Amino acid sequence: MSDVRNSTFLRLYKCMESIQFNQQILRYSDALFRLAKSILRNTEAAQDAVQELTVKLWERRNALDEVENIQAFTMRSMRNLCLDTIRKNRDEDELPEELEYEERNPYQQTEQKDLAIRIRSMIDRLPELQRTIIRMRDVEGLELAEIAFITSLNENAVSVNLSRARQKIRSQILKEQKRVEETIWK
Amino acid sequence: MEMMNELLEKYFRGETSLSEEKELKHYFSTGNVSAGHEIYRALFDAFEEEKQETASGPLRKVETRKRSVKHSWINLIVYSGIAAAVVLVLWIQLPKQQPDYAIIHGVRIDDPEYVQRYAEKRLSYVNEILKKGLRPMKSMETVQQNLQLLNKIKEIHDKIMQQEEPHNINN
Repeated sequence: MSDVRNSTFLRLYKCMESIQFNQQILRYSDALFRLAKSILRNTEAAQDAVQELTVKLWERRNALDEVENIQAFTMRSMRNLCLDTIRKNRDEDELPEELEYEERNPYQQTEQKDLAIRIRSMIDRLPELQRTIIRMRDVEGLELAEIAFITSLNENAVSVNLSRARQKIRSQILKEQKRVEETIWK
Repeated sequence: MEMMNELLEKYFRGETSLSEEKELKHYFSTGNVSAGHEIYRALFDAFEEEKQETASGPLRKVETRKRSVKHSWINLIVYSGIAAAVVLVLWIQLPKQQPDYAIIHGVRIDDPEYVQRYAEKRLSYVNEILKKGLRPMKSMETVQQNLQLLNKIKEIHDKIMQQEEPHNINN
């Protein structure tokens, strides 16, 4: 009888643990996926990274109770995991850090008519730190202090990088607009 | 318009607060965007589009990965078995290669050139013996030839005698 009771309690405990984990971590899985995709620039690799991090966090779920800001903590863990992945596969598929946005040929222009898509492509071509910061701020809506924790920088450095990223995108949008206007008048 | 201009400039300098950025997002999501700001609408649209992206079932993928790990173990065992079977078959089928050697006067000689020279020498010796052994046979052939000549003489003699005998009877 006591064995049955123990087994029931164990199941209940595991069920509670699972629900708690879902509440703590899995609700951030979309944001974690977007962050991983932004850093790795590859959907499948990003999904793998989310999976890997979820497993790691599940294994250390008891320690999560002591974490003050779960979102910032998981985002930081995800960024570190992605940077490790890039370091491991540096020669394989990572684009150069300082790759500039390139003018597209007419064929590519027809293919990518949507300016929003082109802007996402421009962001993808920013250095890792800048594209991570601009997305954490403008997509995820995180505070500068949270971004500073995730990127292991101070708030001022985050602000500088955010400004640089936005300025670069702005200048590329203006350049794009100018080129479109010239094409129309021709 | 003027306020939005200032807010946009502040935004690009990275100095806006989250609430100010919310205000900007709201402004660009409505239909009342001035022509001068229209160019930046796509920027906020891009952020909004990205926000809609979701991870496609990470827990389902965890199970998939676990299964693939199990599969890799099974594959490892199967392939190891196949490799072991192939090695066993080759070991049984292929003739075992042993080093060449010869025993000469009770001594093992591993030098093939020496063995070859020794064998050639022995063979030439055997050849000499055979040649010597066949000489008496040649003498026998000569005797037989001479005997055949004698036989022929005897036949001729017998024929002559046969021809002469009837002549004597008639006489």
